[in-house]
Amino acid sequence: MDTSWILAHLDELGLRTIQHLGLAFLAVGSGFVLSMGLSVLAVRVRPALAPIIALSGILYTIPSLALFAALVPVTGLSILTAEVPLVLYTLLIFVRNIVAGLDGVPGDVLEAADAMGYSRRTRLLSVELPLALPLIVAGLRLASVSTIGLVTISGILGDRFGGLGFFIFEGYRHAFPTEILAGAVPSAVLALSVDRLLVGAGARLTPWSVGSVAR
Amino acid sequence: MSVVTATVAWLTDPAQWSGAGAIPQRLLEHIGLSAVSLLIAVAIALPAGLAIGHTRRGKVVAASLTNIGRAIPSLAVIGIVLPITAAIDPQLGFKVYPTLVAMVILAIPPILVNTEAGIAGVDRDLVESARAMGMRETQVLISVEIPVALSVILAGVRSAATQIVATMTLGAIFGSGGLGRFLVEGIAQNDDGKIFGGVVLVAGLALLTEAAFVTIERAAAWRGREHPGTNRRAAASVPT
Amino acid sequence: MRFSRMLALGASMLVLLSACSTGGGSKPTIKIGSVGFDEARVVAEIYAQALEANGYAVDRAGIGLGNRKVLLPALESGQIDLQPEYVGSGLAYYGGAPEGHADTNKELFADALKAKGLAISILDYTPGEDTNAFVVRKETADQFGISKLSEIGAVQDQLKWAFATDCPTNPLCAAALKAAYDIAPKDVTLLDACSGPMAEALLQKTVDVAELCSTQPEIITNAWVILDDDRATQPADSIVPLVRDDLLAKVDKAAFSKILNDISEKIDTPTLGQLYYDVAVGKKDIKDVASAWLKANGFVK
Repeated sequence: MDTSWILAHLDELGLRTIQHLGLAFLAVGSGFVLSMGLSVLAVRVRPALAPIIALSGILYTIPSLALFAALVPVTGLSILTAEVPLVLYTLLIFVRNIVAGLDGVPGDVLEAADAMGYSRRTRLLSVELPLALPLIVAGLRLASVSTIGLVTISGILGDRFGGLGFFIFEGYRHAFPTEILAGAVPSAVLALSVDRLLVGAGARLTPWSVGSVAR
Repeated sequence: MSVVTATVAWLTDPAQWSGAGAIPQRLLEHIGLSAVSLLIAVAIALPAGLAIGHTRRGKVVAASLTNIGRAIPSLAVIGIVLPITAAIDPQLGFKVYPTLVAMVILAIPPILVNTEAGIAGVDRDLVESARAMGMRETQVLISVEIPVALSVILAGVRSAATQIVATMTLGAIFGSGGLGRFLVEGIAQNDDGKIFGGVVLVAGLALLTEAAFVTIERAAAWRGREHPGTNRRAAASVPT
Repeated sequence: MRFSRMLALGASMLVLLSACSTGGGSKPTIKIGSVGFDEARVVAEIYAQALEANGYAVDRAGIGLGNRKVLLPALESGQIDLQPEYVGSGLAYYGGAPEGHADTNKELFADALKAKGLAISILDYTPGEDTNAFVVRKETADQFGISKLSEIGAVQDQLKWAFATDCPTNPLCAAALKAAYDIAPKDVTLLDACSGPMAEALLQKTVDVAELCSTQPEIITNAWVILDDDRATQPADSIVPLVRDDLLAKVDKAAFSKILNDISEKIDTPTLGQLYYDVAVGKKDIKDVASAWLKANGFVK
């Protein structure tokens, strides 16, 4: 372990961590919005549900490495090449969880809302989504952690990307274990911290569900 | 459409199917390493899940370990393990062990979670009546809980298996074998046919794995149809 | 030094997040690219810093982009404007047959580019050269009594080989070895060209023969043996800056060329070896090594 190298590169490590979080946040945010739309569609238009889930399922089996490589001829080495695959991977997690959450709203609650004269939109926003919240938060947590892992792989697109994964690739290229660890350990810690943070946030948002939902 | 034609050309090119570093070799490497990783993960996670689900103790520890296992980026694991195992065994420690460890860590959470939830979710009345009949704890586990929870447990193994097959490709970045080599080499050689040929092979293998396990699950469910004791709610909340 | 590096990294992140490219100003932004191994990256960084010192804006996103098969298409399409290329290997990539002299190779290269209809110019080449080297450990050389590539053919299947990832499709690698020496071994691992892992694999005895860059420092530090290329398959690879003509059209061509040519003049083989050593073994930052060299040679203050 070459601690002098680490001390000399603290600033770069910090910047790469910020880059890492930025790339992840962008992907999870966009994926969430996209999935919300897809999920509402899937719940409303039942026949659309199976194909949407099936498609995202197939997407999930495509190695991230391949998706990144596939986009290079299309979008070059822009941020799109890094972000599009990241967003796509969040789709399966989000859609599955959001749909399950919306589906889990009891029928009589929906009927009561209709009886009270709620519009479809109000019903969605004031009744269905809040009740689906535990599963949505669970999906958010899974997607965030998985995306943080995938950001490391985006390092294959060159020195501009990868967040902390940059150090894993560089360290490997130089056969320099200290550098590999400088990327690997913080990225693992980052993922774990975000996981814990979201568990806490989820518990606070949905205090009625603590202890009973899928971990 | 040229990418499609390039891919088809690559997949149907006989040169890709014989010789060193060709499709059969990479397929075997991929399946072999995946199978070994899965077996090790099952050997670790299954007994643990059975014990925790049955005794209802150690849930917190299991949950923490599961979270950690799920959260750690696989690339990070490979990166951390590589220098260590390469120093110990320059051959296997370089090409096999790092990916193996990463895949085992990846596979343990779904198996553990599903096994534990499946066993814990077995109808308590069923378990109690088995105990009342004089069955010992292990007998209860083997004769009652496992058969009832089998499909949930197998769903966990299925999830683990497909994740391993898909994520195994990462090892190729660091010199491991398997289908991921086509992706890495294709990128380096700017060969779209190779990249997408590799994608088709990996996705195909993953879907095949999924299908194979679904068949096994159906067979198990059919056999377990006389034991309608699974708590459906617990099973549904478990990610498959 | 640290602050300006932070600024550079921070700036590149802003570019990342805004997805907007800069423009304007009297001098255009120059997009520099290079292949992935350290020597190429240091030379590219030297060009980059020298150009910056002369008032140009430089986009370094292409440095370490990938290997030649990714990089040259990027140059052709305009994704990058400037690239330090190895004259013999670059020529071979475009279908030419490189010879022993860098002068000849440069001309042939220019002809090949023109024949392909590519508007890319070649500036002066460095006296320093870096060729592909096939290297064994001293014990292996002693054990089999070999010192030349023509001698290894007989025992090739008793050895484990490592080639660069693009070797199978590189005319100077797989094809040349087979044609000239009948070398087509069975046990082959593909690793990143001229990289740490390639050297490590040879060091740890994971492989017995590795394809390295002749200036790679590990060869000297481990007293390895470079097998003599007695049938001359590997060209004299001096470094030449490849520049897109449309970039040259936007700048003062003479002044621009002078900046790069003056630098190239000073890069000899020992310099390449030293630069490579500082980054690969000395673990110094590419940016620091580049700026130290530029200062020491009077190109920047």
